[in-house]
Amino acid sequence: MSDETAAGERVAIGIAFGNSSSSIAFTTPEGKAEVIANEEGDRQIPSILSYVDKEEFHGTQAKAQLIRNSKNTVAYFRDYLGKDFKSIDPTPSHQSAHPQQVDSTVAFSIHDTSDETPSTVTVSEITTRHLRRLKQSASDFLGKTVNAAVITVPTNFADAQREALVAAAKDAGIEVLQLINEPAAALLAYDARAETGVKDKLVVVADLGGIRSDVAVVASRGGIYTILATVHDYELGGANLDQVVMDYFAKEFIKKHKVDPREDVRGLAKLKMECEATKKALSIGTNATLSIESLTNGIDYGSNINRTRYELLAGKVFAQFTGLIESAVKKAGLDPLDIDEVILAGGTSHTPKIARLLESLFPEATQVFAPATLPSAINPSELAARGAAYQASLIQEFDTEDIEQSIHPMVTVTPHLSNAIGVQLVSADASAADAVFQPLVNVDTALPARRVAQYLAPKEGGDVLVRITEGAREIKVTKPEPVPKEKKEAKADDEDEDDSDFDSDEDEEEEDIRETVWKATKPIAEVAVKGVKAGAKIEVTININSDLGAQITAREVGGKGGVRLAVESQPNGSA
Amino acid sequence: PALPQGWSAEKDYKVLSALSSATQRNIEPVGPHFLAHARRKRHNRTFSEDDRI
Repeated sequence: MSDETAAGERVAIGIAFGNSSSSIAFTTPEGKAEVIANEEGDRQIPSILSYVDKEEFHGTQAKAQLIRNSKNTVAYFRDYLGKDFKSIDPTPSHQSAHPQQVDSTVAFSIHDTSDETPSTVTVSEITTRHLRRLKQSASDFLGKTVNAAVITVPTNFADAQREALVAAAKDAGIEVLQLINEPAAALLAYDARAETGVKDKLVVVADLGGIRSDVAVVASRGGIYTILATVHDYELGGANLDQVVMDYFAKEFIKKHKVDPREDVRGLAKLKMECEATKKALSIGTNATLSIESLTNGIDYGSNINRTRYELLAGKVFAQFTGLIESAVKKAGLDPLDIDEVILAGGTSHTPKIARLLESLFPEATQVFAPATLPSAINPSELAARGAAYQASLIQEFDTEDIEQSIHPMVTVTPHLSNAIGVQLVSADASAADAVFQPLVNVDTALPARRVAQYLAPKEGGDVLVRITEGAREIKVTKPEPVPKEKKEAKADDEDEDDSDFDSDEDEEEEDIRETVWKATKPIAEVAVKGVKAGAKIEVTININSDLGAQITAREVGGKGGVRLAVESQPNGSA
Repeated sequence: PALPQGWSAEKDYKVLSALSSATQRNIEPVGPHFLAHARRKRHNRTFSEDDRI
């Protein structure tokens, strides 16, 4: 069907391989990453394989088989790959083919041939078949045989799992150029957009999936990402929200018909499938219907639910999501005030309420990238695949050896600044004690690094002192001044009508005011720039090497020369 | 920048102390900026050498 790919030519795509669903994406010649829909028109392709009379079904078609043909349907297998049978949690597979122990690996017993006896298929083989179908869909779309890919994996994927994935992909005829971490892929998907400039920022990437959720705190410094902390929850995901919707409708059904559809295997499967669709509809509209033919005992069932009720019922689950994200920030030793961006990835991130809860959890300055809070947000389900496709386009010209050398720990393990380095600004009359510190090179910046910034010189010009110091961020908590009682009463007398409004405002303001304050901790160097013109700016350039030696240049903007100096690295690394 | 008063030093600068020791961390091998970093590290180039190429 597709043209032959020329020998030696690489056609690379990005693959996001998930437990619940997978996506494929490619990069257009203009450098834009685009997600490919498979022949059924799905961009989120369920990671499910099913066999009916030796015919293989994949994606949405296989998912439909969970109801009638669950024993020959394999789902939620990604996390079994490359793992010992004893270490897996088979809970998600209760309603499909059960994982079994074969030798030391995990396998499924399914009727995938016309034989009477079921065959035993290892999870590696299942993965290969799944990837082969993804490859086929991408090849059909691109008109060229795809033979290479960048695949995303969770940050805590063990080496054995990574090796097993590379091997399974090889069997499917895909050369894995690189395995990249899911949060890095999501971040890259946003940074690859032309309108995003490179700046230093702290980002929380929350990947809220179907049956697990992963949160990573990432420092982005000069376009280079460093993961500071990760947390994982294997029992939290969209499935928990499906459960909330299921329980709600099941209870309604029991009230009407005195039977619990959840006790019937097929009824449960039908209910699960439809409730997932209802939940998705609630992310878009404020009202969603559910209708199932012959749910149980041959009874048809139809009902609806509105978003408000759903959000009320799912409040606990939503709190678990925000709690997980909060714990990741804490684990990184940070405060919500430090976070510049929150990127929501994964299918569950479409839920408007989660995005809004996060907006209130983080300060106003923090941007929450989700469809509900930012119109320009990228579809959260597509982030990982787009990031992978972009990375694939960057490295597909490289030799395999080049790629291997570049991602070697020799390259990736890098010293990072343990303190921010900046310039201390002193107002003309103030003493050095309350000097303002402005960070120039942020904490956790990968070395070597170079930063340039301009500072306003004192208005009258003259000689200027530039003091380079290390700095630390502190959270300043100020209690709001208690409003005197009399005043409150007096006001209430004046404006009787506004009384209640006024009171509620007051309650909100009772919260502590928290803000970040920079403190200069250790002076590094002082530089004098002489004879600066009035109203001029001073440009400070700092270059830090990986051995912590630094070169600093300070000069007047537009002026010549300036002062250069070098800070020697410490002789034996002790403070 | 601040006004100095009676401040003087040889060649107009003085180094007061070295930087605090760094922490070793793993960077994510993705993105154009990482690839540039990897290229510099493998060929032992500095920023300015890289700019010239």
